[in-house]
Amino acid sequence: MGKPAQPALLQGTLDLLVLHALQRGAMHGYAIAQTIHLLSDEVLKVEEGSLYPALWRLELDGAISSKSGLSENNRKAKFYQITRHGQKLLAEQEATWVRLSAAVSRVLAG
Amino acid sequence: MHREIEAELAFHREMAARHGNPIPLGNTAVLAEHGYALWRFNFLENLWRDLAHAARGLRRSPWLVIAALVSLGLGVGVNATMFSLGSEFLFSRPSVRDAASLVYVRLAGNSHSSRQVLEFLASSGLFADVAGENEEITANYNDGVETHPVSGVFTTKNYFTALGIPMLYGRGIAPDDPDEVAVLSYGFWSRQFNGDRTVVGRAINLDGRMCTVVGILPEHHRSLVGFGYSPDIYLPRYLETTMLAIYARLKPGMSIPSARAGAITVAKRLDAQMPGEFKYADDVRVSAIAGYERLRTESDLMTVAVFFGMLLAVTGLVLLIACMNVASLLLARASVRRREIAIRLAIGASCGRLLQQLLADSLLLALLGAALGLALAQMTAVLLMRIHLPTPVPIRLHIEPDWRLALYAAALATFSTLACGLLPAWQSLRESLAPALHRESKMRLRRVLVAAQVAVSVIVLTTGLLFLRNLVHSSALSPGFDVRHTVFADVNLPPNVYSDAKRKAGYIDRTVDSLAALPGIDSAAAARVVPFNGGTRFGSTLVFPDNGGQAQAFFHWNAVTPQFFRAMDIPLLQGRTFSPADHSEHVVVVNTEFVQRYLGHRQPLGTVFLWGRNGKTPYRIIGVAAPTKTITIGEDPQPQLYEPLAQIDNDRQEIDFVMRSAIPPALQLEAVRRTLHRIEPMAGAQVATMSSSIGLAFLPSQVGALLMGSTGILGLLLASIGLYGVMAFSVARRTREIGVRVALGADRGHITRMVLKDSARVTLAGTAAGLLVTFLVTKPLAMFLVPGIKPTDPLNFVVVALAMLATGLAATWGPIRRALSIDPNSTLREE
Repeated sequence: MGKPAQPALLQGTLDLLVLHALQRGAMHGYAIAQTIHLLSDEVLKVEEGSLYPALWRLELDGAISSKSGLSENNRKAKFYQITRHGQKLLAEQEATWVRLSAAVSRVLAG
Repeated sequence: MHREIEAELAFHREMAARHGNPIPLGNTAVLAEHGYALWRFNFLENLWRDLAHAARGLRRSPWLVIAALVSLGLGVGVNATMFSLGSEFLFSRPSVRDAASLVYVRLAGNSHSSRQVLEFLASSGLFADVAGENEEITANYNDGVETHPVSGVFTTKNYFTALGIPMLYGRGIAPDDPDEVAVLSYGFWSRQFNGDRTVVGRAINLDGRMCTVVGILPEHHRSLVGFGYSPDIYLPRYLETTMLAIYARLKPGMSIPSARAGAITVAKRLDAQMPGEFKYADDVRVSAIAGYERLRTESDLMTVAVFFGMLLAVTGLVLLIACMNVASLLLARASVRRREIAIRLAIGASCGRLLQQLLADSLLLALLGAALGLALAQMTAVLLMRIHLPTPVPIRLHIEPDWRLALYAAALATFSTLACGLLPAWQSLRESLAPALHRESKMRLRRVLVAAQVAVSVIVLTTGLLFLRNLVHSSALSPGFDVRHTVFADVNLPPNVYSDAKRKAGYIDRTVDSLAALPGIDSAAAARVVPFNGGTRFGSTLVFPDNGGQAQAFFHWNAVTPQFFRAMDIPLLQGRTFSPADHSEHVVVVNTEFVQRYLGHRQPLGTVFLWGRNGKTPYRIIGVAAPTKTITIGEDPQPQLYEPLAQIDNDRQEIDFVMRSAIPPALQLEAVRRTLHRIEPMAGAQVATMSSSIGLAFLPSQVGALLMGSTGILGLLLASIGLYGVMAFSVARRTREIGVRVALGADRGHITRMVLKDSARVTLAGTAAGLLVTFLVTKPLAMFLVPGIKPTDPLNFVVVALAMLATGLAATWGPIRRALSIDPNSTLREE
């Protein structure tokens, strides 16, 4: 148990991270997980068990859309893309997050 | 959907492996499930997969499927049949345009009114249209060789246009038609004219008038009267004496209560203009002609509705028995699926999800069973429609599947799914959670199920038995007159030739003399009506001039010729019958019931009472007859009064003749027919033996016994299958135990007793519980039974209990034999 504890994702932040990652363009599930992992300096690790349900839910909500395409290794894969509705959702959630994290920092500083 | 999700997850794992990341230890199945759960069509998708899964599983146990489908098919079939019968009887719509806006109007409470009343109502402008019919007429149809009486309807000439009756060929009677036109029913047209379309436009001989056929009604025409009542012919009313039932079309937006209020106003004006026998405004009724509205307003229909309600309750119980059979079968299968369920639970399926899957088994069976049942019901309906009831007017039921039946079948299927499936599904879930704990309780559950089944069959069986006893009892009842040696002829005189009573009297005298002169005929008589073929009841006040006493009397009235009592073999207990010399005063013969109820302490012979149209005519009693039944065989003795036919003003075109024959009456029919034809070739006559023409009297008890008896036997059959299944299973489960017992020296008697005791416990418990419930719920059945048959008669319970025990014994026979054939050596070796 030498590894430092992995920070668990706060409830609701996964959607934000996924949408944010998708701003860089269409990508498949694995790529989304990798992007989040790398962008967070390998701190955040998204489990498939939470990633895929989140993707399916976002797709049903209309925040992202999917189509099948060829992956970098020439395999058929499902690519997700952010929609206009998703862009709006992302802006809202970003604002909420900024306020929330600022508030949490203030509490901890006080 | 399924594949897509799995492919995506597989791709993810592949990519992870490629990049040297650890493959996540997720539970793919749960994840996939989670994916489906998000999907909007989740429920349907699951249902489809569950059904496919259930179908695969059930295919492996064909016997279970066959047993379950037979049970459910019979159960649903009997329910659907009774339901369509009831719905056809009570809720079918007559074949008219917009039945909802059509009402039946009665002034002064009269079912039929005169033409003047109808025309007054029509000219008042209260209704959009007013039409009338008399649905009880008989016309003489002459096919060129012979004259046949056919049942018909007299209509006003606007009848077809006002009601908007659809036609098969030609048109309905039009307002500007002459009197000599006719519309034929499909049945009459195909019977008499072999469905020849060119009949339309041709003239046929009706009552000696050449009437042009203008149209043919469709095969599934439903008359306004309902109940499958299908008269052969429709004619414009041309006799002034015919009364009419009034049907009116409501103006748009008019409600029934406001129509009634309007009709009362009109009736008051009518009373002012036409004072007479009736106070028209006194009892004004406006009622719907179809649907629930009609049921609510017609109290006679309520009895029929209650009967069908009871029938549906009983057939519902039969379906319950069938469902218990299936539940029992599925319970046995539950242990087979224990491993599968345990695995699914272990990998994270939720209990609710599994319950849904387990219910898919019973849903599939219920759907197939309901489909089978509906097919069965449809076949029965086709058979039922072929039955020709011995009624004076053809009765043709048009039973066809409709939305009501579809709805009912859906309800039945849902009910069966839950009744068959919930218990076994719940049980297999519990068993998978803790197998050791629940195996015993499952056996107990099956026993309880079978005991409940026995209890329910006791109820069903008792009902069936009651109606069977009712039939036997009523067939043995004497109608009060002889039916074995009597010939009955029903003659319908053409109205244009025999319009006055004097001509009719001449015809009657001639005919009675000629019939009595036939070889082998002992006596012949004419009557206004013959019991079970019609009747007239009078309610009036009798005044006794001897002491001024009064009696409010209600009696069956008949007018007969002198030989009537002899020809019918009705005993004359006191006094004498009528004689031609009686014309100097009004004389009557009454029955003993009349004497008891209305005469008080008077010596009946010679008693005079005042009665008649004006209530002032003296009538003298010259004879006392034994009572006869009049409407149904089961009725209590009713007061009767006979007048000489020569004494009354005979306004009826139909004359009934009865003859007493020394030789079997069937041999006289041809001679009687020839004689009647010779005397008046224009009159249609129906000649039959008395025993065949009083069939109508036994119809209610026959229908009741047929429906309830067959339902009861079906219930018993299904319950015995259930009992057999459980006992066979129980013996199979105890094979080892029995083997050990035999090895330790138990003899055959001992083993037999053991299994018997086991089955007797279940049967006895079920029977006892069933009898208790039966005692409480069958009491109201008394309203459908003839006096002398009581629902609480201990004999019923004894018979049913014995039948149940015998069935239990029979069902245990197979399992006992199997138990006895257990070889201790082989069972012990299997250890």
